[in-house]
Amino acid sequence: MDLRVPSGWFFTLLGVILVGMGLISPDARAALTDVNVNLYSGIAMLIFGLFLLLMARLAASRSR
Amino acid sequence: MKLAPVDYVILATYFAMVLGIGWMLRKKATTSGDFLTSGRSVPVWITSLAFIAANLGAQELIGMAASGAKYGIMTAHFYWIGAIPAMVFMGLFMMPFYYGSKARSVPEFLKMRFDEKTRGFNAFMFAVMTIFSSGISMYALGLLLQLVLGWNFTTSVLATAAIVLAYTYLGGLTSAIYNEVLQFFLIVAGFSPLAIMACARAGGWHGIVSRLPSNMTHSWTHIGHASENPMGVEIFGVVAGLGFVLSFGYWCTNFLVVQRAMAADSMSAARRTPLIGAIPKMFLPFVVILPGIAAVALAKIAGPGGAHLYELPMKLGASGLMVKDYDQVLTTLMAKFYPAGILGVGLTGLMASFMSGMAGNVTAFNTVFTYDIYQAYIRKGAPDQHYLKVGKMTTIIGVALSIGAAYLAGYYNNIMDILQFVFGVVNAPLFATFLLGMFWKRSTANGAFSGLVTGTFGAVLIWCFTVAEGKGGVFGNLYEFRSTMAQNFWIAIVAFTSCFLVTVVVSIFTQPRKESELEGLVYGLTKIRRDENAKWYERPVVLAVFVLVLAVILNIWFA
Repeated sequence: MDLRVPSGWFFTLLGVILVGMGLISPDARAALTDVNVNLYSGIAMLIFGLFLLLMARLAASRSR
Repeated sequence: MKLAPVDYVILATYFAMVLGIGWMLRKKATTSGDFLTSGRSVPVWITSLAFIAANLGAQELIGMAASGAKYGIMTAHFYWIGAIPAMVFMGLFMMPFYYGSKARSVPEFLKMRFDEKTRGFNAFMFAVMTIFSSGISMYALGLLLQLVLGWNFTTSVLATAAIVLAYTYLGGLTSAIYNEVLQFFLIVAGFSPLAIMACARAGGWHGIVSRLPSNMTHSWTHIGHASENPMGVEIFGVVAGLGFVLSFGYWCTNFLVVQRAMAADSMSAARRTPLIGAIPKMFLPFVVILPGIAAVALAKIAGPGGAHLYELPMKLGASGLMVKDYDQVLTTLMAKFYPAGILGVGLTGLMASFMSGMAGNVTAFNTVFTYDIYQAYIRKGAPDQHYLKVGKMTTIIGVALSIGAAYLAGYYNNIMDILQFVFGVVNAPLFATFLLGMFWKRSTANGAFSGLVTGTFGAVLIWCFTVAEGKGGVFGNLYEFRSTMAQNFWIAIVAFTSCFLVTVVVSIFTQPRKESELEGLVYGLTKIRRDENAKWYERPVVLAVFVLVLAVILNIWFA
């Protein structure tokens, strides 16, 4: 099993959920912030998840 | 703190994920070697991250933010001095013997190099230690969840233990290691937004420096005398106690972390494991300590309405007065900065850290019990399937014993002081044993055993006769330390030195083993493979130099 596949999907999913939260309720804020935390950290996690999936895909095609 | 449905969805996704990884790996655990040592088949990037994740338990996470708020940037000594040099030493000089000897555990290496009694002593101490540290960390997590989220202590302890048990039982060490990597990613993802936002809100690093006393934002400047810094330690205690004895003792001989490197798929990968792991390790302070430091600065900034932006959490102290409750700094900060969504990720990160710590303890425990206690003393020479079964049963027993230890921790708080101290020093004399065993061919089994026993009991004796912050001094008070940290550092120094001296003296007066028997176990009698074929960036020495230069830069930057 290539660990990059499940963890890639996991972070992609987390990213989608957070970006969704950031877009649906952009005004959701905790007491001390005025940035859309969900949106930005969601984008970061989405990129990380897709990066892991891409690496796994590259490794699989190289070994074939 | 109140969770929204989306937070529960994230938490549930994570639980499904770890169980799924365990399920997918279940077919890989068909022999005792697969189950307990991963059959030496794990890729190096995975062992490297697992190497540092197994150490990053919930107590570590909560404790580092707490220490950040209490002691400031000096807490980073636990990383930049207290981990990196030891990890480099481990990769360069000790891994060739661990991996090359084909030992399946640290106690087993002691048996190969010295004898049965040395192995037995170490295996027993280690087994007890892992159970209690996993129990204490379980107790800390249950308490926190109860306090912050109002979850029932018993339910949350049993539920998380059941999940850890399920995935380690299914896939053994491989499953624990794979999940540790996922957990490491999640800890970073869940807590770096907090570090960035808390730091930005406090005016960046410069804003923090301008608001805090200088001894909280400089790690080396105020270390000349114990009275000048909040940690109550002085430079010799830090460098020799923490930086040498405690850190080398932990990172080079604690089977919990060594086991991760031993699972690597080649000698070169095993040597690179601690070296590659050191790179993320040295940047972890920015994720785990910085929020605590920023919290103190936030507590000094006046917000709208005159109140401060943040107040350090308080609890009722033993004396009846209110005292600061540093252990709640991390969770209260999360409540101040995280809306629903990322809050779920942060909380999941906390759960993940707890699970990685506990799985680390359980997988180390079952290996040491199966190979070094059961196979050595209870039943020798059984077929491998028998040991696989024993390993699996021990996993269940280990989890059950940890739960018991968690409740014990709740009932007898004083026992915890003693145990915390024992964990701190149990590895200190052991490092002297390994150092002499690996680099001095003349050291003998009787020397090692008497040194180890002297060092361990010497440490306990000193703890019983010295006092710090009201702890220790069971039999009297011959010396009072400025802080428990200073006490631990000095006890470690004494334990190491006495073990070293006794081992040398006894070795000189006892019969050494034949050199032919020590091949592969001692420096000078072992051929260490040169990595001529490896690409330059894959060579351990190149990596080690790179890591050390980075660590020096960080130390100077925050001096």
